[in-house]
Amino acid sequence: MKQRFISSVQIILQLALTTVGLTGQSYPGKPQIIRCRSLEKETFSCWWKPGSDGGRPNNYTLFYSKDSEEKLYECPDYLTSGPNSCYFDKNHTNPWTTYIITVMATNEIGSNSSDPQHVDVTSIVQPDAPVNLSLETNTSANMSYLWAKWSPPLLADASSNSHEYHYELRLKPEEKEEWETVSVGMQTHYEVTSLQAGAKYIVQVRCMLDLGDWSEWSSERSIQIPKERLPPEKPTIIKCRSPEKETFTCWWKPASDGGLSTNHTLLYSKEGEEKVYECPDYKTAGPNSCYFDKKHTSFWTIYNITVRATNEMGSNVSDPHYVDVTYIVQPDPPVNITLELKKSIKRKPYLVLTWSPPPLADVRSGWLTLEYELRLKPEEGEEWETIFVGQQTQCKMFSLNPGKRYIVQIHCKPDHHGLWSEWSPEMYIEIPTDFRVKDMVVWIIVGVLSSLICLIMSWIMILKGYRMMAFILPPVPGPKIKGIDTHLLETGKSEELLSALGCHGFPPTSDCEELLIEYLEVEDSEDQQLMPNRDTPTKNMKIILKETDSDSGRGSCDSPSLLPVKCRESRGLPSALQTQDVRAKEKKGGKGSWEAQCTASEQKTLPCNSESTKSCTWLAAQLPSNQPAMFSYHSTVEAFKITLNTTNVNTSPVLVGNEENRQSLYPIAETVYDDVQKISEMENSKTDQTTAQVRQNQHNDKTPFLNPKLMDYVEVHKVRHDEEPTLLLKHKENSGKTKKCTVPGTNKEYTKVSTVVDHHILVLLPDQRTRNTPVSQEPVAETSQNPQQSQGEKNTSYNTTAPSDSRRDTSGSDYMDPSSFMPSFK
Amino acid sequence: CHTSGMLTPNGKEYAQKIPREELTHLILKLLQAWKEPLSHFNQHIEHHQELPDDSLSKAKQISNMVHELKTGVEKSMGIISNSLNGMASSEGTALSISNEANMMSDSDFIHCFRRDSNKVQSYLKILKCRIMPKNSC
Repeated sequence: MKQRFISSVQIILQLALTTVGLTGQSYPGKPQIIRCRSLEKETFSCWWKPGSDGGRPNNYTLFYSKDSEEKLYECPDYLTSGPNSCYFDKNHTNPWTTYIITVMATNEIGSNSSDPQHVDVTSIVQPDAPVNLSLETNTSANMSYLWAKWSPPLLADASSNSHEYHYELRLKPEEKEEWETVSVGMQTHYEVTSLQAGAKYIVQVRCMLDLGDWSEWSSERSIQIPKERLPPEKPTIIKCRSPEKETFTCWWKPASDGGLSTNHTLLYSKEGEEKVYECPDYKTAGPNSCYFDKKHTSFWTIYNITVRATNEMGSNVSDPHYVDVTYIVQPDPPVNITLELKKSIKRKPYLVLTWSPPPLADVRSGWLTLEYELRLKPEEGEEWETIFVGQQTQCKMFSLNPGKRYIVQIHCKPDHHGLWSEWSPEMYIEIPTDFRVKDMVVWIIVGVLSSLICLIMSWIMILKGYRMMAFILPPVPGPKIKGIDTHLLETGKSEELLSALGCHGFPPTSDCEELLIEYLEVEDSEDQQLMPNRDTPTKNMKIILKETDSDSGRGSCDSPSLLPVKCRESRGLPSALQTQDVRAKEKKGGKGSWEAQCTASEQKTLPCNSESTKSCTWLAAQLPSNQPAMFSYHSTVEAFKITLNTTNVNTSPVLVGNEENRQSLYPIAETVYDDVQKISEMENSKTDQTTAQVRQNQHNDKTPFLNPKLMDYVEVHKVRHDEEPTLLLKHKENSGKTKKCTVPGTNKEYTKVSTVVDHHILVLLPDQRTRNTPVSQEPVAETSQNPQQSQGEKNTSYNTTAPSDSRRDTSGSDYMDPSSFMPSFK
Repeated sequence: CHTSGMLTPNGKEYAQKIPREELTHLILKLLQAWKEPLSHFNQHIEHHQELPDDSLSKAKQISNMVHELKTGVEKSMGIISNSLNGMASSEGTALSISNEANMMSDSDFIHCFRRDSNKVQSYLKILKCRIMPKNSC
């Protein structure tokens, strides 16, 4: 109950207070003691802060008690330390006691007191800052000192003991942030040595008693440290140059001037002289330079030049610079650079660049001779092409591409020791592109023509390629057996085939051995004969081949069917063309048409039998339609050579039947026989070609060359010794061929034909058995003379000796037995 | 340099003022004054093993050139005045065999020779442009 009552009373009171407060009047707020401080441990002061004043003037009273005494004292002095303070003087201050201080604020309504504050004098000691800080600088011997002085803080009571303060000083250059703090001790002055010359320093001091805290820092003082004053540093001479070899200038570079204004003087002396002169002209060439005019310039003497810098503190001299004006000439760049585009004869433009020497250089008198150098680059290029031009003042440039832009520069130097000038300012060159329509037209025409030619060539190749290939690379002939006609084979008519072969009766009869080709016997059969064949209706020259005697495999020495063969135009045997001809020259009309000279006598009959004056001679005419068969052969070499008629692919042999008038001569691969000269008959079915000419006892026929293909033995019928010896060949009886003769009958009149000369002369070998006088004529080509040899030489596979041996062996016979070398024959 | 005693024009104006004959005289004298020192130098450096071979040949070449130049100048200018040339020759020889010429060190030799050859070149060029002003002058 009671408590409720009390609390309710308090509530009421508070309400009353608040109402009073609302109306602006209440008792004062609680003051607060801010701080208490002692300056020197003998007195102290306390300051408080009033609380809210409650609308009425307050009165403040400070009460304190010492230690644990109960007695309350009131502040002795409210005034000394200012408002809201209390000053305890010496009498009231006891450093060893603890004071408990409260402040009470009173007004009409009520009062309020602060919290009590426990104060221990010794712990609140903080002196004032020192005063009267003064700074001085002193510079001696290049060192600057800072001299700081101050006074201890003031005390209220001047009579108090002089206390011993400890001081501290701090300083910093004005721009910097960090202070440098120095402990000074008890003295009231200090000297600072490590100072930056020229900087402005700020200085502060503070003090402290034995106990307590440091005072506040004194107010700042600043001072400027003077810069060092030094004598100047050594200047240096940069360079001396003469632009025209008449005057020169020297430049120098001053060093640090020690903070003071410095003066420079240039002094020089000449080689060999003692006297020192001063620069005649400091101005013309600019600051820090000296210009020597003409009067003061001497050549071929060395100048000794120095520069002296002087200031208040002292002076300094540069190193000496020795210069001979002759060697320091550096001209100005060339001027008046002009470009001219000229067209040469071939209408390719070239550029002529001209320039003049720099104006100051006296080139006309020869005192100064300049050499020039050019440099050139395309505008986008990186590397300059430098061209040394020598002493001329113009340059022709041919190597520029039209349409491109170029940059060109020129510089010069004296022709003796000297320096290159600066490059002249850039000149731009642009060559106009000379696009000639005419050139394009020419190119177009050329292109069109060449393409046309290519087309034509390719067309020709396509059309005639085959033939050309055949021409260039003649096809290798297959082996040909004389008398075998592949067509006949194809047709399958054996009879015809065999008849073509000259075999009568097939299957072989009893004398088939003779038919067998064991070895090829070269024989002359009496049946053989040269037969001029005249009866060809056409102009064909039929050369009757001696199919029989040729290596048709017949061993018999008959030459059967010579006769029938002879004059039959249908008969044709391919014969090996062995052209023994010496003079391979004539191919008449490119066709090698030969003219077989046949006796004009009738073809069919035995022409040579007749006493006609005509002589038969044979010419093997070959009509290569396209190419000549290689008729020429040198006996030594080509005895066995079978030249192939490459023209006609048409492998039909000389035709049986002569169907087409195509000339078909086929060299027969057998070649066995060639050595012996036979007069071969070739049937030539060439229509247009050869004309059979009967040789009429004249030699001067134009003789197509003989193609003594198969030189066979021909029975000499007669030798005529009139105007020219000619041989009339006997026509052989076409008797049965079964006669096998190994050796031609000795009673036969065999003569070995040595050679054929002039196509109508048979040169016979002398032979005791014959009664023919050999016509000794120089064989143009020795054929039968050494057939073996020829063969031997020809074909290395030969057993060369054998033939010769065999030859010798067959001394009796006039012919050679091919069997001796046959085996070696493939 | 042993030729330092010679009074030679050391500027363009002086060189242009001198009459031709005197200039020629000076040139010849200078050339002659180097004859002996050059040969002496050549002999001297032949014993120097450390010099490259082409230096030796160059030095010989230079002596020859000086000689040829002297001959050439004499011939071309000799038309002008023979008596002066004779004097130049003798004076030059005197200098050539003087004491100073013999006592020159190698570096002095090279330095003096370079200078004198430059002098000769300049004088000759002035002469040339004086006599034949058309040719590239």
